[in-house]
Amino acid sequence: MSREGQKLDYAAAGGNGAGGVGIGVLSLDLLGQVLDRLREPRDRKACRLVSRAFERAEATHRRALRVLRREPLPRLLRAFPSLERLDLSACASLDDASLSAAIAAAGAGGLAGLRRVCLARASGVGWRGLEALVAACPRLEAVDLSHCVGAGDREVAALAAAAGLRELRLDKCLAVTDMGLAKVVVGCPRLEKLSVKWCREISDIGIDLLAKKCPELRSLNISYLKVGNGSLRSISTLEKLEELAMVGCSCIDDEGLELLSKGSDSLQSVDVSRCDHVTYQGLASLIDGRKFLQKLHVADCLHEIGQRFVSKLATLKETLTALKLDGLEVSDSLLQAIGEGCNKLVEIGLSKCSGVTDEGISSLVARCTDLRTIDLTCCNLITNNALDSIADNCKMLECLRLESCSLINEKGLERIANCSPNLKEIDLTDCGVNDAALQHLAKCSELRTLKLGLCSSISDKGIAFISSNCGKLVELDLYRCNSITDDGLAALVNGCKKIKLLNLCYCNKITDSGLGHLGSLEELTNLELRCLVRITGIGISSIATGCKSLIELDLKRCYSVDDAGLGALARNAFNLRQLTISYCQVTGLGLCHLLSSLRCLQDIKMVHLSWVSIEGFEIALRAACGRLKKLKMLNGLKTVLSPELLQMLHACGCRIRWVDKPLVYKDC
Amino acid sequence: MDRGQNHIHGQSAANLCYQFGSDNPLLGMGIQQPFVPFTSPFGASSSTNIPHMDWNPATMLDNLTFIEDKIRQVKDVIRTMVDNGGQLPCRQGDLTQQQQVVNADLTCLIVQLISTAGSLLPSLKNSSFLSHPPAGHMDTVNHVGSSSSFIPNVTTISEENKEDMCSPEDYEELFKGFTDGAMEGGIEIDNVFVEEQDAKDGDEGGDASMDGENLPPGSYELLQLEKDEILAPHTHFCSICGKGFKRDANLRMHMRGHGDEYKSPAALAKPPRDASAEHELVKRYSCPFVGCKRNKLHKNFQPLKTILCVKNHYKRSHCEKSYTCSRCHTKKFSVMADLKTHEKHCGRDKWLCSCGTSFSRKDKLFAHVALFQGHTPALPADEPKNSSDQISRVGSHQEPAKFPSSMSSSFMWGTSSSDDRGLDIKGLAGCSEDILSTGNFGSFNFSFGPADGFTGEPSGSTFSVLPPEHFQSAQKKGKN
Repeated sequence: MSREGQKLDYAAAGGNGAGGVGIGVLSLDLLGQVLDRLREPRDRKACRLVSRAFERAEATHRRALRVLRREPLPRLLRAFPSLERLDLSACASLDDASLSAAIAAAGAGGLAGLRRVCLARASGVGWRGLEALVAACPRLEAVDLSHCVGAGDREVAALAAAAGLRELRLDKCLAVTDMGLAKVVVGCPRLEKLSVKWCREISDIGIDLLAKKCPELRSLNISYLKVGNGSLRSISTLEKLEELAMVGCSCIDDEGLELLSKGSDSLQSVDVSRCDHVTYQGLASLIDGRKFLQKLHVADCLHEIGQRFVSKLATLKETLTALKLDGLEVSDSLLQAIGEGCNKLVEIGLSKCSGVTDEGISSLVARCTDLRTIDLTCCNLITNNALDSIADNCKMLECLRLESCSLINEKGLERIANCSPNLKEIDLTDCGVNDAALQHLAKCSELRTLKLGLCSSISDKGIAFISSNCGKLVELDLYRCNSITDDGLAALVNGCKKIKLLNLCYCNKITDSGLGHLGSLEELTNLELRCLVRITGIGISSIATGCKSLIELDLKRCYSVDDAGLGALARNAFNLRQLTISYCQVTGLGLCHLLSSLRCLQDIKMVHLSWVSIEGFEIALRAACGRLKKLKMLNGLKTVLSPELLQMLHACGCRIRWVDKPLVYKDC
Repeated sequence: MDRGQNHIHGQSAANLCYQFGSDNPLLGMGIQQPFVPFTSPFGASSSTNIPHMDWNPATMLDNLTFIEDKIRQVKDVIRTMVDNGGQLPCRQGDLTQQQQVVNADLTCLIVQLISTAGSLLPSLKNSSFLSHPPAGHMDTVNHVGSSSSFIPNVTTISEENKEDMCSPEDYEELFKGFTDGAMEGGIEIDNVFVEEQDAKDGDEGGDASMDGENLPPGSYELLQLEKDEILAPHTHFCSICGKGFKRDANLRMHMRGHGDEYKSPAALAKPPRDASAEHELVKRYSCPFVGCKRNKLHKNFQPLKTILCVKNHYKRSHCEKSYTCSRCHTKKFSVMADLKTHEKHCGRDKWLCSCGTSFSRKDKLFAHVALFQGHTPALPADEPKNSSDQISRVGSHQEPAKFPSSMSSSFMWGTSSSDDRGLDIKGLAGCSEDILSTGNFGSFNFSFGPADGFTGEPSGSTFSVLPPEHFQSAQKKGKN
C-alpha cells in the first residue's frame, strides 16, 4: 500500500471512530477528487473498505470498472452509476443472459454514461447481449470485441446500432465478413479507429465501403486480411487517416503502396511488416507522397534496400521518429545513411538484421541522439564498442534489447548504466552476462523490465545487486538462471516489491522456502515455475496465500506438486485465470476441487495428469464447464470423455486443444 | 440444263452425288447441289458487281435481252454438241472446249437471272412464291433466280474452290456450308462471282459497298439483314414436309423419318468446319433500324459482330419486351434466353439490402449501399429469402406464338440481298482437296475452271426443284 493510501486509511479509520469528525465531513466531490489521485487500485479499495464516506464517494465518482466474475456484475453496475469505462474482458463465464440481466438490473439510465466497453475474449457474449448493451448505452464510443473468435456478422450488426461509436476492435473475430463490416460502417459513420486484424473473411469490397462511409477514420488495422491493392486505393481516399497497419497482407504489393501514396498527407504511421510482395521500390514511392510520415514498420518484408529508398528516407528527415527494419540485411553504409537522413529517430528496430556491426551502430547513433528505443535482438556481431557509442550518444535511452548479442559483457553494460539514467527496459537474454554486469545495471533505478534468461552465470549475488536499487522493477525474467537459489529470491523480494511478472523456469535449485519468500510479492500476477522439481504443495500454498493478485501460474513439470498445492490455490487464488499443471502429481479429487473453486479460471493446460482418472476429468470439467475458454488435454481423452461434456464445453465457447505428446520425464 | 448432258460430265465420281441429288426425290439433298457450282465460281476471279437493289425497267429490259441472247447461244452450242456427240465421240478435246463454253455461258446466265429476278423480288407476293410447287420444273427458273438472290454481288474470292462435290461427306459439308451461310443471314451480298467473259460485267458492275460508308478497303464486309429475317423463328426447313427447325442438327434428326437414306452416318454427321474461312473478309453487320447506333447510317456507327448479335440486338433494342419473368412478374425481356438467364437467378439473390432490394452479387449490393445514405446490408436471417416454391413455376413460360413461317420468309428474301457465306468456300475447301486426290474429276475440273461444278450438276432441274422453304430454313437457322 502506498504512503498516501496509508494516510487516508488512517484518517478514515479515525473519522469513523470519532463519530463524524474527519473524512466524513468532507463533501463527496472532494472525496472523489481525493480518490482520483490515488493511483493504486488497492489503495482505493482500502479506503472503500474502511470508510463509508469514501464508499459513497467512490460509488458516485467511479468512472472505470473491471469485473472479474459475473455474479457481482448486476450489483456493481447498480452501485456505480457514473461508469464510463467497463472492462469485462476478464469476467469469467459471462454470457448473453448474465450480461442482459446485469444491464437490466442497472436500470434505465444506469449505464447512460458508459463510453467504453471492453469485451475482449468474452467469447460467451453473442448478439443478444451486445444488443442489450448497445441499447442501454446511448453514449457508447468504444467497443473492444477482439479475440471473440465466435463473433460474426450478427454480433457486429448489433454493435452497428451504436451510432456514436468511434473506436472498434474486431481483432480475430473470425466469422465477421464484409456484411458485418458493412453494417458497422453504415451504422457508425463517425468511426475513427477500427481494427479488423485477422478477420479473414473481409475483402476489398468491404474495405471499399468502409472508406466511403467512414470519412473520419484516423486509425485502421487490416493486418492479415486477404485484401489487395484495390483496398489501398479505397483507403487512400480517407482524408484523415493517420495510422495504417497492414501486417502480413500478402496480396498487397508496390502498386498498392503507390496508390496509397496518392492519398492525403495525413498518414503518419504505416506498418507493412510481413507483406511479402512489398519491395523498397514501393516503399520509396509511398514515402515520396508522404512527407509527414512518422512511423514506418517494414519488418520482415524487405530483402534488399535500394539507394532510392534510402534517399527517399532522407526526405523524411524532420518527421520520421520510428523505423523498424527487422530481418533485413543491412550494411554499415545503410545505417550511416539512416543516421544522416533521419536524425529525429526515437525508435529503431534492427532485430535479426544481419550485418549490423559496431561501425554501423556508431555511425547511426552519432547522428540520432534522440533514440530512446534500440532493438538489436540477434545482432550478434556487435560488441562493447557499439554499447559505448550508444551510451555516449543516446542519453535518453529507455529501452535496449540485446538478446543473443553474446559478444557484449559487463564493461559495455557499465557504460550504458552510467550514461543512461532513464533506462527502463533491458533485454540481456542469452548474452552470458554475469553478476558484475548486474552490479552496474543496478545503477539504473528506473529499471522496470529486466530479462536475464539463459544467463546461467548469474547468482544470488547479482540478484541482490538488482534488489538493492531497482525498487521499481516490474518484470524479471530469470529463465534457466539455474545458479539462483532461495537466498536470491529472499534478496529479490526484499528490494523489488512491485514485481508483477516473474519467470523462474528451470531454476531448479529453488525449493519451497524460496517460494515462501515470493509469497510477500502481493502484486505478482504472472509466475512461471516450470520444472522446479523441488517445490511441493507447501511452496504453492505460500504463494497462493501471499500472492493475491496471481492471474497466471505455470507449474508444468513441477513433479512434486500435489493435491495439497492445488487445494491451496483453490482456496486462495481467486483471481487465477491461467493455470498449467501438466505433469503435476494431482489426483482427480484435487482437480475437481480446483476447477470447481476457481471462479476466474478460464484457461487450463492439463496434459499427462497420470493420477487423474477419466471420471476425475469428467467431473472436474463439468464443474468448470461454463467458465473455461481454453483447454489443453491429451488426445486420448477425446474419445473417452462423454460427448455431452464436449458438446457442452463447445457450446460455452471453450476451445479444446488436443495434444499427442509422449510422456517424458526430464529434470532440467 | 439438260440432264443428260450433266450425266455425261458427271462421270463416275459424280454418280454418288446424283444419287443423292438430282435423281433423288427427296429434295433436301438435291437442293443443295446446285449451289455447289455457285459457290465454286467464287473461287475463281472476276469482280463484277451487280446492283440488284434498284428496280429500273430499262436495266431490266437490258438484262432480259442479254439473257435471251445468251440462252440462244448456249442452245446453239449444245445442239452442235448433240449432233457431234454421236459422230465423233472420241474427240475429247473439242468436247471439252465446248463444255467449257457452255459452262461459262450457263454461269453467266444464272448470275444474270439471279440478279434480274432479285431486283424484281420486292414486288413479289409471298403467297405466290410459296405456293409454287416444290417439284422441279424448268419453268421455275425465275424462282431459282429469286431464291438464290442471296448470292449476287461480287468481289473477290480465292481460286481454291473450284472443285465439285462428289462424295456424301463432301455433300454434307456443302450442305452445312450452305445452310450456315444462308442462316448467317445471307442477304446483302457483296461478294458474288461472275465469269470474266460475261459481257455484261461492266454494266452490272456497281458499288460493292452499298452502305455508302467509306470503309477502309478490306477492313470488313458490312451486311444488313432486314427486320423480318431477323425475327424469323426458324432457319432450317424440311424440304419434304416443310417443318421448320432452329438448328440444322435437329433438321437432320428429323430427316431420318423421311427415309433410310437420311439415316446413314454421313447424312447424320455434323458438317465439318472448314479451314478456308480465314481467307474471307471479316464480316460485320448493321442493324436495319435507322437511327440506331448499330445502323450503318449512324454517325458513330458500331457494327455488330455476328448474326446472333444482330438478332439479339434487334430484339432487345427495337422490339417489345414480351417475356415476363414468372417469378417476380416485373422483369421483362425480349430475348427468351435473357429471361431464362434471369429466371435462373430470380428470387435467389442472396445479397439483400435493408431497403428490400436484392442483388445477385455482393459487389453490386455494396455499390448500392455506398450510393444510398442509410441503406445497410441485411443479414440473411434478418429477412427471409424469396420463397423457393416459385422456382417450380419456371419453365412453364412458353415462347410466344411463332411467326407463320410461310409468310415472312419469302418476303425477306426479296428485299434483302444474301450473304455468300453459306455458299462459301468454307465448306468446300476441304472437300475439294479430296476430290483432287481421287483424280476422278481431274481433267474435267481443271479444264472447266470455276464454272465446272455448275455444269457438272443437273443444274436446271435441281434449281427448279428448290422449294422456297428451303431457303427460309437455311436462313432461319441463324436465329438459333
